[in-house]
Amino acid sequence: MLPENITAIVSRNERWCGEAASEPYEAGWAREAVFFVRALKQPIGATATAWVEISPDGMHWLREGTEFALPDERDAVTMARLAHFGNWLRVAARFDDGAECTVLVTLHLKA
Amino acid sequence: MNNQAPNQTGDLTEAMRLALLRADPALSRFDPLPRILSFDNFARGHCGWSQLVGNYEDDLDTMLPGYAQHTSAMLSTLAHWDAGSHGGMGSSYALKIATRPVAGARNVAIKRHTFRNRGPIRFEMYFTFKPEASTLKLSETDVRSVGFLFDLQGGDQDGDGSNDRVMPHLRFLNALDGQHLQKWQYKRETENIIPIGTDNKTISHYHLSPEGWLDLPGGSQRLCYNEIPTKVNWTYLCFDFDLATMTALGLRCNDRSFDLSGYDSIRIPAMKNLWCMLNFGLFAETDIAKRAFLYVDSICISGDF
Repeated sequence: MLPENITAIVSRNERWCGEAASEPYEAGWAREAVFFVRALKQPIGATATAWVEISPDGMHWLREGTEFALPDERDAVTMARLAHFGNWLRVAARFDDGAECTVLVTLHLKA
Repeated sequence: MNNQAPNQTGDLTEAMRLALLRADPALSRFDPLPRILSFDNFARGHCGWSQLVGNYEDDLDTMLPGYAQHTSAMLSTLAHWDAGSHGGMGSSYALKIATRPVAGARNVAIKRHTFRNRGPIRFEMYFTFKPEASTLKLSETDVRSVGFLFDLQGGDQDGDGSNDRVMPHLRFLNALDGQHLQKWQYKRETENIIPIGTDNKTISHYHLSPEGWLDLPGGSQRLCYNEIPTKVNWTYLCFDFDLATMTALGLRCNDRSFDLSGYDSIRIPAMKNLWCMLNFGLFAETDIAKRAFLYVDSICISGDF
C-alpha cells in the first residue's frame, strides 16, 4: 500500500489579527509536514511573522523554531517545511495593532 | 424438492458468508449486509472521510456560517496529557472530528458515494466522544452531541415523488445547557434554502442548525462515559435505511434497539445535480467553550443487492 499523505485545511477564510493560531492538528503518523498560508484578501498593515508550534497534549504550546513571514498581498502564499515533530501541530502569528490577514491554512502531511 | 433446492443453496451461501465474516478478526465485530460498500479502518488512512465544506460562489464569504466553522478531520491515537495514547480497538488510530472551543460549535466529516441499487443499506461504526481534557473534572456534560446523517437523492429517472432529496439525521444529545440529557434525537426540517452567488446555479441550507431536533420516542440511553475525560470506551452503532422507500428500518446502539416508527428524515425537493447521491456524515457539537471530539475506530457500510 502507498504511504499515507493528506491535505488538511485547518483554517479557511479566517480573519487573523492580534494573536492568532490555527486549530490543533494531530499528525503523529506523518514524517514530514508543510504549512502553506495564502492570503485570501489584501492584507492590511504590517506583514506579520508566523511560527510553527508543537505541543505535548494539544493544549500547551511552544515554538518549534521555524518562523516565516505571512503573505503580503492577496493570493500570495508562504510556507514552512517541517521534518521533525511529535504529534500536535499548529501555526501561530502575531499582528500589530490594526493589521490583519484573511488566511487559508493548508497542511500537507506525508508518512 | 425442486422448490426447496434454491432455499437450501441460499441458506448454505448465507451460512458460508457468516462463517467467513465471523472468522475475520477485522469484520467479525460487524454485522454487514451481503455487499460491503466500504470498510474503514483508520490505520489505513482517512478512508474518504473529508471535511464538509459549505457551498460558495465567487467568494468564500458567501458560505453560510454554520459551514464556515468546519475543519478537516484527523487521524488520532487519542493522545492524552495524563496517560498518553489511548489507541483504537484494533490499531493505534481513530478518525477524530474536533469542534472549535466555542459554545455550540460543530464540525462535520463526510464520505461521498452514489448508489447503484435502491435497496437496504446498513451503517455500522464503533465510536466514542470526549471533551478536550483541559480541566481536572469529570466534564461529562461538556460535549453537547455526536451524531450522523445520510444525504440521499433518487435516480434521475425515478420520477416525481420518488426522487426527493432525503437526509436522515440522528444525534445522541449528551447535554444541553449543562443538563445531562443522554437521548437520541432526529430532525425533519432543514433551514431555509438560500441562493448562493448570482449565477442561479448554487444554493445552500444549513441542515445541522440547533433548531428542530425532536426526541426519538423511547430514545433515552445512558452510554459508557467512564470516570475522567481521558478514559475512553468504544460504543457500537448500527443504522438501517431502505433506499427503495427512503425510510429508516432500525437503530441499534450497543445493547439497545430503538423503535423508529415515529421517526422521519428531512425531505426536500430533488436538486438538479445530486442523482443517486449516497453521502454519509459524522458530526460533533460542544455545549461549552471547550473542544468536543468525536472519535471513530472503524466503520462498515453495506448493502443488500
